[in-house]
Amino acid sequence: MTLPFLIIIPLFGAFSMPIISLFGKKLKEYWALIISGATLGVAAKIFYTVWKTNEIILYTLGSESPIGKGVKFPIRIVWEVDLLGALLALTITFVGFLAVLYSLGYMKHDTGLEKYYTLILILELGMLGIVITGDIFNFYVFLEIMSIASYALVAFRNDTWEGIEAGIKYMFVGSVASSFILLGIALLYGQYGTLTMSYLSLKIAENPTIVAKVALAFFIGGLLFKSGAVPVHMWLADAHPAAPSSISAMLSGLVIKAGGVYAVARIVFSIFNPGLHAYLKAFNMPSINMEAVGWVIVFFACLTLLIGNAMAVVQTDMKRLFAFSSVGQIGYILLGIGIGTLAYGSRAGELALAGAIYHIVNHALIKALLFFVAGAVIHEVGTKNLNELSGLARKMPMTTLAFIIGAAAIIGLPPLNGFASKWIIYESSAMYNPILAAIAVVGTVFSLAAYTRVLFTFLGRESEKVKSAKEPEMSMLIPMLILVVAIVVMGLLPWQINDKIMLPTARMLEQLNGEYMVALLKFLGGA
Amino acid sequence: MIPLQFVTAFLMIFMGIYAFLYKRNLIKLILALNLIDAGIHLLLISLGYRLENGVLPTAPIYTGYETLKGTPMVGPIPQALVLTSIVIGVCVLSLAMALTINAYRHYGTLDVNKLRRLRG
Repeated sequence: MTLPFLIIIPLFGAFSMPIISLFGKKLKEYWALIISGATLGVAAKIFYTVWKTNEIILYTLGSESPIGKGVKFPIRIVWEVDLLGALLALTITFVGFLAVLYSLGYMKHDTGLEKYYTLILILELGMLGIVITGDIFNFYVFLEIMSIASYALVAFRNDTWEGIEAGIKYMFVGSVASSFILLGIALLYGQYGTLTMSYLSLKIAENPTIVAKVALAFFIGGLLFKSGAVPVHMWLADAHPAAPSSISAMLSGLVIKAGGVYAVARIVFSIFNPGLHAYLKAFNMPSINMEAVGWVIVFFACLTLLIGNAMAVVQTDMKRLFAFSSVGQIGYILLGIGIGTLAYGSRAGELALAGAIYHIVNHALIKALLFFVAGAVIHEVGTKNLNELSGLARKMPMTTLAFIIGAAAIIGLPPLNGFASKWIIYESSAMYNPILAAIAVVGTVFSLAAYTRVLFTFLGRESEKVKSAKEPEMSMLIPMLILVVAIVVMGLLPWQINDKIMLPTARMLEQLNGEYMVALLKFLGGA
Repeated sequence: MIPLQFVTAFLMIFMGIYAFLYKRNLIKLILALNLIDAGIHLLLISLGYRLENGVLPTAPIYTGYETLKGTPMVGPIPQALVLTSIVIGVCVLSLAMALTINAYRHYGTLDVNKLRRLRG
């Protein structure tokens, strides 16, 4: 059983970090690298197992079976890993490992590094917990672990006003969002008396009450806050640029996905289960109107991808531009999830969901690369103002190459990985409703304008500030090059990846056979 | 009829949200966050407490439950949840206080309206 080690290893690594750092100056960096590397290995093994067997791993904490003694329903905490969870765990550990590697060079001049590495491992642990848990309160606990670590990391450079102000904003918005989610959990528990996600979905289908709908509204509201969808995106554009660049890469690439869109997908598909409710509706039984939920998600998605990308165009701060671009890309992922809910059971719905999952992975890699580039520029030149950065291409050719690859991939140029996922999202939205596809393409036009501006800055005439710039050191270049290779390789095999990994993942999440529930029902029969 | 403790819980949550939206002092905002949390905790705790046939439920201790068979028991899960949630709340509270102290050092004020150097 390798699953518990996904949590045990980073937890042990995080809290042994202060002790380890007593023994040597360089030791803490290598310890963080070893721990995150080991976690990457465990996640790869879990992903391979789930992908190979195409079966959900169900792990009960502290017992053989989740069913309580003498009762007929699950009372223990379960971890349920389907393909989506395993895929995200792999992405999280991969980008987390690269972020730690990048920190070796990038954070060299900072103090308090043992706290930094402790927090970065706790952040990774929280996200891993979110993607593997099958218990809704356990989900909340991991969400808070992740959130608290990220509040602290945004305000890590507490000698600058920027970090403190962004940290305060992020913390207040994030705490209120967490409270909404906790309120949703409390309402669901009060109504149905269980916390296990798969059992909850059965109970809700048996008796869909108004309380379940209110709880769903609280969940969606809170999670849209956390993922930075448009009416509530203002904290993201402050928090992500203020953090150190290695953390920005994790925040933009992973945190808004694991704690935001992934959780939306999990709650909409695994707890509220549009298939089950469409089935109930067909027989005129009481059901929740999941189509309305889908339209709500699509509405916010369209708003997000238009405004996020449009705001990116007018920014003069490079990291702020990337952060707004993250808001825009979250819009595409939400659009895929929304259409997956709306067109449930049809080819378009399945494709849209696969495209959303594909884009989660792709955007994690691309945005991590772009923030690494921004970090390298800040580290070498000392500014992130685009007006002072012209002509970097001569002095930092490798970094510029990495930026060009990343920008081309995020816009969606064909030989790179962003193309495939965006294409699938356009195609499925055009199949469902051409207007949505048109909106998505308009968003990409804004994105193109924003990145072209940065590209011209990089290739322009040399300014005073960049005269003394040089390439960053190896520990910062290597993660960028690994990401460039990953983006190009994934871009060369787009349809194979889609057919072999993303479509099965989407099918498993859609649970055409109700697999997420069946994994638990096995135990119910035997109890 | 809705039990009184549910009404109180939601009243606390709404008071917290009101304070969060209309108060401008950082300390008051932190209090507002705690008020929202406390309301949710009250809601969760009162979910486990039901007056059954006019009998008060006993405390959720499993060993004692064996001897007191027949009397209703308070749900143990909400209490475990609330304990966990209180611990999380303390973490957020301490982090918020630390950030507030830092903000006061940088800005010399606790007014959120003055913390506006970032655009957005």
